[in-house]
Amino acid sequence: MPKLRLRAAAPAALLAVALLALSACGFTEYPNSTFNHTTDFNTSIDNIFQTLVFWGTIVFVVVEVALIVTIIKFRKRPGGPEAKQIHGNAALEITWTAIPAIILVLIAVPSARTIFETQKPAPAGALKVQVIGHQWWWEFRYPELGIVTANEVYVPVGRTVSFELTTKDVLHSFWIPQMGGKRDLITNKTNYLWFTPSDTLETMAWNGFCTEYCGASHANMRIRLYTVQPAEFEAWARHQARDAVFNPAAAPAVPVVPAAAGAPPAAADTAAGWMYPAEKLPAHVVPQTPIPAGLAYDDALLAGGDAARGAQQGFLMGGCIGCHAVRGVPGAVSNIGPDLTHIASRHTIAGGLYRNDGPTLARWIKNARHMKPGSIMYTIGRGEYDPILKTTQQAGLDDRQIADVVAYLMALK
Amino acid sequence: MATIAAPTHAGTAAASENTGIWSWISTVDHKRIGTMYLWTALFFFLVGGLEATLIRTQLMRPNMGFVSAETYNQLFTMHGTTMVFLAVMPLSAAFFNYLIPLQIGARDVAFPRLNAFSYWVYLLGGIFITVPILFQIAPDGGWFGYAPLTTTQFSAGPNIDFWVIGLQILGVSSLAAAFNFITTIINMRAPGMTLMRLPMFTWMSFVVQFLLVLAFPPITVALVFLLFDRFFGTTFYAIAAGADPLLWQHLFWVFGHPEVYILILPAFGLVSEVLPTFSKKPLFGYNVMVYSGIMIGFLGFGVWAHHMFAVGMGAIADSIFSTMTMLIAIPTGVKIFNWIATMWAGEIRFTVPMKFAIALIAMFTIGGISGVMHSSAPADLQQTDTYFVVAHFHYVLFGGSIMGIFAGIYHYYPKMTGRFMHEGLGNVHFWLNLIGMNLTFFPMHFSGLLGMPRRVYQYDAGQGWDTFNLMSTYGTYLLVVATAVFAWNFIRSRSTGAVAGNDPWGAATLEWSIPSPPPEYNFAQIPEVTSRYPLWDLKDPAKTAGIEHSHADAMTITDAHAVPVHEETERHTARELGIPMPFPTAKPLFTAVGMVVMFSGLTFLRYDMFAVAMTVTIGGAAMLIGGLYAWLTAPLE
Amino acid sequence: MTAQTAAAHAQGHAHGHDAHDAHEHHHYTTTGLDNRKVAVWTFIGSECMLFASLISTYLIYKGKSVIGPFPHTEWTDPAGKVYKAILDIPVTSASTFVLLMSSFAMVLALQAVQLKGKPLAPTAGWWERLQRSSQFWLLATALLGTVFLGFQSYEFTSFVHEGLTIKTNLFGSTFFTLTGFHGAHVTVGVLWLMSLLWIDRSRGLAGKNDELLVDICALYWHFVDVVWIAIFTLIYLIK
Repeated sequence: MPKLRLRAAAPAALLAVALLALSACGFTEYPNSTFNHTTDFNTSIDNIFQTLVFWGTIVFVVVEVALIVTIIKFRKRPGGPEAKQIHGNAALEITWTAIPAIILVLIAVPSARTIFETQKPAPAGALKVQVIGHQWWWEFRYPELGIVTANEVYVPVGRTVSFELTTKDVLHSFWIPQMGGKRDLITNKTNYLWFTPSDTLETMAWNGFCTEYCGASHANMRIRLYTVQPAEFEAWARHQARDAVFNPAAAPAVPVVPAAAGAPPAAADTAAGWMYPAEKLPAHVVPQTPIPAGLAYDDALLAGGDAARGAQQGFLMGGCIGCHAVRGVPGAVSNIGPDLTHIASRHTIAGGLYRNDGPTLARWIKNARHMKPGSIMYTIGRGEYDPILKTTQQAGLDDRQIADVVAYLMALK
Repeated sequence: MATIAAPTHAGTAAASENTGIWSWISTVDHKRIGTMYLWTALFFFLVGGLEATLIRTQLMRPNMGFVSAETYNQLFTMHGTTMVFLAVMPLSAAFFNYLIPLQIGARDVAFPRLNAFSYWVYLLGGIFITVPILFQIAPDGGWFGYAPLTTTQFSAGPNIDFWVIGLQILGVSSLAAAFNFITTIINMRAPGMTLMRLPMFTWMSFVVQFLLVLAFPPITVALVFLLFDRFFGTTFYAIAAGADPLLWQHLFWVFGHPEVYILILPAFGLVSEVLPTFSKKPLFGYNVMVYSGIMIGFLGFGVWAHHMFAVGMGAIADSIFSTMTMLIAIPTGVKIFNWIATMWAGEIRFTVPMKFAIALIAMFTIGGISGVMHSSAPADLQQTDTYFVVAHFHYVLFGGSIMGIFAGIYHYYPKMTGRFMHEGLGNVHFWLNLIGMNLTFFPMHFSGLLGMPRRVYQYDAGQGWDTFNLMSTYGTYLLVVATAVFAWNFIRSRSTGAVAGNDPWGAATLEWSIPSPPPEYNFAQIPEVTSRYPLWDLKDPAKTAGIEHSHADAMTITDAHAVPVHEETERHTARELGIPMPFPTAKPLFTAVGMVVMFSGLTFLRYDMFAVAMTVTIGGAAMLIGGLYAWLTAPLE
Repeated sequence: MTAQTAAAHAQGHAHGHDAHDAHEHHHYTTTGLDNRKVAVWTFIGSECMLFASLISTYLIYKGKSVIGPFPHTEWTDPAGKVYKAILDIPVTSASTFVLLMSSFAMVLALQAVQLKGKPLAPTAGWWERLQRSSQFWLLATALLGTVFLGFQSYEFTSFVHEGLTIKTNLFGSTFFTLTGFHGAHVTVGVLWLMSLLWIDRSRGLAGKNDELLVDICALYWHFVDVVWIAIFTLIYLIK
């Protein structure tokens, strides 16, 4: 029965090889691996997981070898021995009840210890971050620092970050595989999760995901977490806490930077603060979602976008403030959509689904629902078909007005 | 309450060996109902498989764009719902129906008409819940249907209505069948067939019926709440009213976890029949196998919250449920070891059913080990809702339940049809199935631990998941080929397979003592059982010399007409033998239609068609009550 | 089981071979119990889980309603309107008593059917005669059940008038669903009793098979009654 031997041996070999490969797996190849000891939380989990793999492998090998030996040794052969009529054996039964029980104790004890260790309250001095789930994007608030942002969260290395998780609508789950386990966001309940990114970590970007099915765009609800050096975090936070750097009320309704092709206009506050540098973004955090076919926009228009006009005629009068807040702009306080105060300092839009750049933003504004299934942000481009309302947008903004709004948003450094 | 028997007309044997369509519609014969269960469930297995194939095609490559997000969500919801409620459970029910009366030496189940009713409700409920996908309005809240996503506030369309109502309908079918089988096993055993002589399949089925009876009410209640919320504006899951969404999760998983054992224990039972037969040895540690089955069922009710480690229940609850879950590994492991010990020192024949049974041991072990991995709550926080869990439960359900059911199908096909399935094609099916399954599901362990979440219709390239997903999709295509081979074999062998006698495999239990396919009355004379292996006692007494034999003991009553176990080779009609058979009747079907119509009336409320809804519901209720009345007042036999 | 009872059982088993009284006909069963009785016990087991789930939900949501009216405490709405505590314990105690009495009547109904085979002494008084009137006791049970349902509809109507509907709050949803499910069970029971009464009037209930018909109905009825005791204690009495 060589076939049989091969059949059952293959998974065993595969398992062993794969585990070896995974324990040494490179970051670039597996950027969302759960095995790296990047935080205290994930170290605890990985330790218990290694225990489980250890015992699991032993059980696997014992059972499968016993099975294979049995079926080879006792296969029916001409002239072979007759089957022995054995009905049972109490000693054996006790043995294979007791041995698994002992193994389970060896698993259960460290499990329980880790449960209590990881669920105790976060240590004092932890950075507090509120995570608020929305269909289908993440709101992050740093209550001690006065920061409100979306989909991208910055944490300094070496300091415990304590997440307070709530949801505005359905259930979601907050998970950054490299940082540790997940925790659900439950309606009418507050959950907690904390971890300390190792202080030896370099400034790095990590992916996170919503892991509780939450409707049409569950797959499109992603997180970027940046572990940054404390000084970088300071610089980032200082800027993020400010009001919008471009204030339409104070700006004249003329192009701030005449005919500068797509260049951001000089804002009232020129200090753009610190953000994770775009050129250093690892490939795995750069969104690759293709823009759906049939969503036409002439990118050349973007060059003529007027930030101030975009702010006044687009943002304020075009309805954006119905859902979006920009701190410092009177009336723009709504919490339905992401806070846009510093949107230009983010690398992604739409729940981390797309890159944050002019052409993508323009298309997003024109027809968000075409770009992200089920999106609550309705179709704004004039003459565009709204796939949820199943009507064509008769009012809304034309492409030139959208260019103005894009210019404004890109000015919100 | 199937048989409020009025005066009977002794000797009127109405059911006969008819084969017309009406004979199937009106049948109350457990074997025919079992056969219908089998065909229907295999059909839904193909539907669920097709859904899986579309899912895997969409996930073959990053950002594939093969189906839309909405379609994908409907596909994965219906794949889960179909496979659990319309394929695996009814495949088990097919065996309950066909085998339990034969294995315990009975002429039918306790309530033959209720049995027909269960089948028709299942069929109609299955159609009700499946058809919407053709119109792209299928349920899209996941097979677990977590509130508040499934409330009208977040799912305003009719999609979830079909799911809520459909599952209620299917629940009625399962419960009715469970009452029936519990009564059958308790009360219809042949003389001498004590509980500790029951064939292992019947034993495991017995445990499953109790799980059904106790696990379905909680989900019924959860669904009633959701139904009321969706149609009548109650506040059970309403966020603004302060509802706690964990209520749904608790009620769902109090059902959902025993459901896992409902899906696996019948397969365990089937391989416990196959392994001894093809090892030419009795089952090793019969008593322990019984007790471990009961333990699994019992513990199954105490572990539901291990599906909820990420919801923040607190360290104490997490620890308790972690430990409880680990405990289940003990009786399950005991089963695995006993199966291996059954083969040890035997004469193993590698027939197709035997190969599937061995594959169950090998594959289920992998699923069991990954199961223990996420019984540990901290590890589970990294694993839950990732592809690791998808890998785990497919090893348990595909590597366990489906392998066991295939073993059962190949094993019992000769009994059901009188012909063997083609051995060569069976071998092709087996190897393609085994390789395809491992190629599909093994890579998911890795994609999951490497961070791939479940239920995503698209993902970016370069996340470390591309190769694993491609492998999984190719594996699925292999499974498609395997299933096509099986389907061809299954259909064709009915007319071309080699003819099988009473006992083609040399098995030990009563069902093999009668002709294949069995006559309508099963046993011309009710056999009196004196040990666990009545047919081996008869044909090969040396084999069972070492065990205790006894005649009717304290548990049993000697039947005046019972005769020693013997092989029945002649085929008569029940009328010739003077055996009273239940009348064929379409009343259970009529009643089932009434019930399904009654429930489906609710869907019109979604479109504010109040008058239509009331008309349909009241009309259905009238059919239901009228059907029940006609049914209960008509004599059974 | 002794040989004696075994023999008795074998006698009961007839299977169309022997001429036998139609009413006495029943199949051979392993335990000697009728299939229907076993099935009803299983059914009741399942029903226990149903009501356990409903009652647990009520208890889980107890005190969680964000607006009133509340079961045991007063509530003032933002407009200043005062809603008194909803549950009326004296009235429900009365209806509970009625339901308990119905169980008593049910016991006597079963006894009446069982007594029918025994000859009645010519000197028997009105009570002995009444004891054998299965129609009277079935009717009494059904009537008491109906009175209970009357209390319940009065209770529901007055709650709605006081501002509590099934949509109002968590208390309203859980309360009406739980007691409504129980009420539906009582309704089914009343219909069941009425069917028995109808059979009794048309051909008379007597003999082993009919005793069983009444017996399983009684099992169900007592179960529904016991569930009410649990509901009354947990929902009404415990604050």
